[in-house]
Amino acid sequence: MIFLFVALPLVVAGILPLIGKISKKVLPDILTNGVFAALLALALLQGRSLISRGPVVETFSWLGEPLSLRLMLDGFSLLMLITVTLVGFCISLYSINYMDHYGAKANFYALFLVMLAGMNGLVLVTDLFQIYLFLEVAAVASYALVAYGLGHDELEAAFKYLMLSAVASVFIILSIIILFGLTGNLDFAGVAQGLKTLDAKYLVGICAAFFIFGFGLKAALVPFHAWLPDAHPSAPAPISAALSGLLIKVSGVYALARVFLNVFGLTPALSTVLMYLGVISMVAAALLALGQRDFKRMLAYSSISQIGYIILGIGLGTPLGILGGLFHLLNHALAKSLLFLNSGSVQMATGTRNLDEMGGLGKRMPVTAATTIVGSLSIAGVPPLNGFWSKLIIIVALIEAKHWAFALIAILASVLTLWYYLLIQRRAFFGKLNERWQAVREAPFWMTTATVILALTCIGVGVFFAATIKTWIQPAADALSQGVRVTLGGLGF
Amino acid sequence: MILQITLLCGVVIFSAAAVLLRDLLRSAICLAVASLFLGIIFFRMKAPYIGAFEISVVAGMITVLFVVTIALTKTEGDVRESRAASWAFPVFFIVFLIIDVMVTKSLLGRVPALESVPDRGTFGETLWKMRTFDLVGQIGLILASVFAVLALFRKRSKDE
Repeated sequence: MIFLFVALPLVVAGILPLIGKISKKVLPDILTNGVFAALLALALLQGRSLISRGPVVETFSWLGEPLSLRLMLDGFSLLMLITVTLVGFCISLYSINYMDHYGAKANFYALFLVMLAGMNGLVLVTDLFQIYLFLEVAAVASYALVAYGLGHDELEAAFKYLMLSAVASVFIILSIIILFGLTGNLDFAGVAQGLKTLDAKYLVGICAAFFIFGFGLKAALVPFHAWLPDAHPSAPAPISAALSGLLIKVSGVYALARVFLNVFGLTPALSTVLMYLGVISMVAAALLALGQRDFKRMLAYSSISQIGYIILGIGLGTPLGILGGLFHLLNHALAKSLLFLNSGSVQMATGTRNLDEMGGLGKRMPVTAATTIVGSLSIAGVPPLNGFWSKLIIIVALIEAKHWAFALIAILASVLTLWYYLLIQRRAFFGKLNERWQAVREAPFWMTTATVILALTCIGVGVFFAATIKTWIQPAADALSQGVRVTLGGLGF
Repeated sequence: MILQITLLCGVVIFSAAAVLLRDLLRSAICLAVASLFLGIIFFRMKAPYIGAFEISVVAGMITVLFVVTIALTKTEGDVRESRAASWAFPVFFIVFLIIDVMVTKSLLGRVPALESVPDRGTFGETLWKMRTFDLVGQIGLILASVFAVLALFRKRSKDE
């Protein structure tokens, strides 16, 4: 059943271009949304019971012969699957209206589903080479999706993204090659066992540095962030939402956390490096966001800043820090995709992304304005929304671990975040309505439905944060907190 | 030894030509030839599985994808590159070769030698029994590449 998370999107993607010849819009809309809804239901309804006795490993046989098709579902993978399918479902709902004017909708959905299969595959595999393989599947689809509009900016941004991402991939595969050379293994358990008995700390250090560089580039951590502020704003809004909300988390944060905590084991030196990278990203990107006039570019810088919080929490390495980091990963995925979708609604209605040209749009687009407030306050960490609780947990974890300076910086960065999100509200939605926007109307039905679902989820997770943590976040944090023990203990790896 | 050096030189020369040539079709063919040489090297180093992959996927299928993509492009006026661009790669290439030789030489002594791996059966058996899920990833990559070509070279409709 776990295999469905990879196979179903790939199969549907394979037939979509053919279906697109028969029905240009309706059937591709129904099929794609159906895939996301089915996988979301599967993750929500079956996931918890599947992992109730620990990680589950699914293996396959063909005519009685065992195949090397091994997928593993634990708390961390399940959290990622739920995040990917939930946010992906809302993005796909939003695309029903938004992607109409781009044309070749079936092709767009096919690429989006391949990206989904890549992300799902990445969170389910137990092998370093397969991490690289599925990372590339998602990445190749995302390059084309960034350039989907075929305008000059889109093509330039996609090319820049492709080039920097290729550099990241080279570092990741180099590290995997060296690890294979050192341990003779590619699967997590074999590599973890090999590293435990190996006396080659310089080479292992080089591998760790290559992974930090590679996954750091994929996650857009400062100083590896140069591609993101170009790529994310240039893409169509649903893809901006998928890249910022999902892809940088799966191919950056998930891969980095899985490899460093469950395979290498988090050493004090590694923890310090990750925490510093997290803090630098948090502050530098927040300051850069303040100076932006472009709605989507400001959101893109905000993504880098929030990834900093997540890496700070996970890099701290304490159970509470990891819990906070993973909770913030979910919350940021929900809120940031909501904000990117709303920026798309505003751009579609006004034709601009320049905040200085907007003003008073709340009067014409009340649902978009209201859901943007929810997303903004959530990311800024205003109670009782979801972002408040995750930031609070990270800060409490830092104080518990006596990292006073980092805790203070995290609080100050949160104030900065609130500042630039209030700027967005004031410039875009409040104040006097600009005369140019007299004819502007609220976004179409499916676009507002998608954003309302995401906004309600942000509120729901915030109000019922204790239940959310207990049900979905704690099992994920447990899988990471146990570190290499879980890999070596035969619990599924 | 002479054959090995010839093959290695072939990989380097055709890879460099793939970057330096201005004709995209010739570049793609040079890349395929470089992959072919690399595949032969893998076979000679007793890594037949990766050799077969290199020749079938990289030299074969990806070249077909490149050629199809190039066939879909149109000439839209001359794009003049700055002189710096034509100098940048050769300089980078020479610096890279020097650093590569130095780094590889210093690293070689530190990497513990692996025990030789026992024969794990035929190419098909290895692929089917040991790396099955890689095939799913390969299918995903091929689908992503084909859809990317279809999306980026699509004819735009009137309402776009």
